[in-house]
Amino acid sequence: MTPPPEDPNIKLREHSYDGIQEYDQRLPNWWLYTLYGAIAFWIVYWFIAIQAGSVQPDGQRVQAEMTRIAAVKMASSIDVSNDAKFWEMSKNPLFVDAGRQTFNSLCVACHLPSLRGKSETPTAVGPDLTDTAWLHGGTPKEIYHTVSGGVLAKGMPAWEPVVGQKKTAELVAYILSHHHEGETITVQASN
Amino acid sequence: MSNEPTHNPPPPAPRRSAHQPVRDSVTTIGADGSRPFLYPADARGRFTGARRWAAYLLIAVYLLLPWIPVGGYPAVFLDVAARRFHFFGFTLAAQDAWLLFFGVSGLGFALFFLTALFGRLWCGWACPQTVFLDHVYRRIERWIEGDAPARRALHAGPMTGARFFRSAVKHALYIVASLAITHLFLAYFVSLPELWNYMREAPGEHWASFLFVFIAAGVLYFNFAWFREQLCIVICPYGRLQSALTDDHTMVIGYDTKRGEPRGKVGTPDAGACIDCNRCVQVCPTGIDIRHGLQLECIGCAACIDACDEIMVKVKRPKGLIRYDSLAGLSGRVTRWLRPRTLVYGVLLLVGAAVATFAFSTVKPAGFLVYRTGGAAYYVGPDEVRDQFMVRLVNKRTVPATLTVGLDGVPAGLRQTGFNAPVTLPPLGETVSPLVLVVDRKAYRGPFKFTVRVQDEAGSFTLSREVEFMGPDARLLKEEEEEEHEKDHRH
Repeated sequence: MTPPPEDPNIKLREHSYDGIQEYDQRLPNWWLYTLYGAIAFWIVYWFIAIQAGSVQPDGQRVQAEMTRIAAVKMASSIDVSNDAKFWEMSKNPLFVDAGRQTFNSLCVACHLPSLRGKSETPTAVGPDLTDTAWLHGGTPKEIYHTVSGGVLAKGMPAWEPVVGQKKTAELVAYILSHHHEGETITVQASN
Repeated sequence: MSNEPTHNPPPPAPRRSAHQPVRDSVTTIGADGSRPFLYPADARGRFTGARRWAAYLLIAVYLLLPWIPVGGYPAVFLDVAARRFHFFGFTLAAQDAWLLFFGVSGLGFALFFLTALFGRLWCGWACPQTVFLDHVYRRIERWIEGDAPARRALHAGPMTGARFFRSAVKHALYIVASLAITHLFLAYFVSLPELWNYMREAPGEHWASFLFVFIAAGVLYFNFAWFREQLCIVICPYGRLQSALTDDHTMVIGYDTKRGEPRGKVGTPDAGACIDCNRCVQVCPTGIDIRHGLQLECIGCAACIDACDEIMVKVKRPKGLIRYDSLAGLSGRVTRWLRPRTLVYGVLLLVGAAVATFAFSTVKPAGFLVYRTGGAAYYVGPDEVRDQFMVRLVNKRTVPATLTVGLDGVPAGLRQTGFNAPVTLPPLGETVSPLVLVVDRKAYRGPFKFTVRVQDEAGSFTLSREVEFMGPDARLLKEEEEEEHEKDHRH
């Protein structure tokens, strides 16, 4: 067989491992330029991002974004400190209807679609929400507090982290739509 | 003219290519690091033709899949936004992502197995790099700028108006092809109607997709217009794995040294079959001389086989001086197909395929999860012990599903609220709802395991999960009760 022609440009590196020597060939220019480009990019990036401080550190960006989200939430949040507002909501059909939908998917397991819970036959787990006797306070603000934070010792989950503030308020509006403002309420001391 | 060898007409004088490949360095990487640009000549023959049809088929599949609706969705639609992945009417949800393991490992095993048997068949016949380069971009180049010698002359000559015009048209077509490829790629993820919407809106509306498409098109254009074989030689990891996957009995493209050497012009006494016309070198898209043996640059495109066969026919010698054969076969030995390597890879592939088939067969058109609500693990009331769960139901199908949640292995008298009636979910919909289980104190015998079962209306599938009903030790509950009883008595 004719041996392949020798490349006159081939250089061998001097070191030898187990009799094996390495070619000393030049890297492709495109490869070297990519490397040099990456180094140049790193210097520019390092200067702009770290030295000049023109790029916000991640921690600050997250903080700024969280502040922005909190501001948006506040701007669109519902006033839950005002009993009169809740009674107003309980008379708004859109609010009540939205509350009914959430209630029927999440709350009926304990309070039943009739809201009568323990008073219903057959009985259910949750307290009756249609009567005037309340375990954890019966003013709209107190009801909101119960729905939002739950009563973990009794098995009532905290719903605000799950459904958000708006839906929690809608739920309270739906419950209040079964009551009327000014009715006499009794608060049973819960054990 | 007679057919006697001595009266054979001399073979057509082949135009010599500019380079003489050596085995110890890469033709397309110059000693000064520059990039000698190749002008591979056109090959003609059975493999070139078959490869072209295979490539057209693959390109057609790539271009058409998003257009063919199967069950209301494109044949292949990776809907990242909705986390639903449609394959020919089969829909997978994000919850089925574990199947990806079998997809990827299956491809790996298949590639190992095929490589051990047939070498770089993938590279030459099916790799998108080769398919698009050889059958789209090189065709455009051939069409606009002419054959290899014409292109070489054009590029070596001065920049005339005509050359500039041709060059501009060529690059414009390259860019059009690159944009078409990347737009279709995006369609796999957003569907064609959505892609069409994106295209008619301002880039700022979907700037991420816009940037992706145009940067990807730029990369493709650079790759196919200039970078070409450098990708196979320097970047592609599959090419670098070859030496670990192949052996002397793997089918490769090789030159029959025993038959070909010593080379000599037609009529040279004692010369082998190779007339040293250099045609195999001229057609090679990676710039090697296949007669130097198997080399890392070879992508198995078979152009040299067709080129050599064409010459062999002209000089009336048997074809196959360069052919698909194993290194063993080329040196006159017998190729062994059954080898430890092929057996191991084959068994791995079969095991993988069997497990994958089983895994895919267990994919159900719905999914569900049961988890406890926040708060205590269980609640003990005056008359009952209560556990509260949340059940998440996912309809993975593209039609509404009515699902029934049932319980198995629960004690008599257990009361269940939540999911007392079947739940109807919209197509691809999901819901989370509480499930509350109550056991009377009298009937309570301690914690127990039970099964939550989800069935569809037609009973075509059942999903089940074992869950524990948690509660206090029944004896503790009894003691507590008795104590209270005594207290009542004393008072």
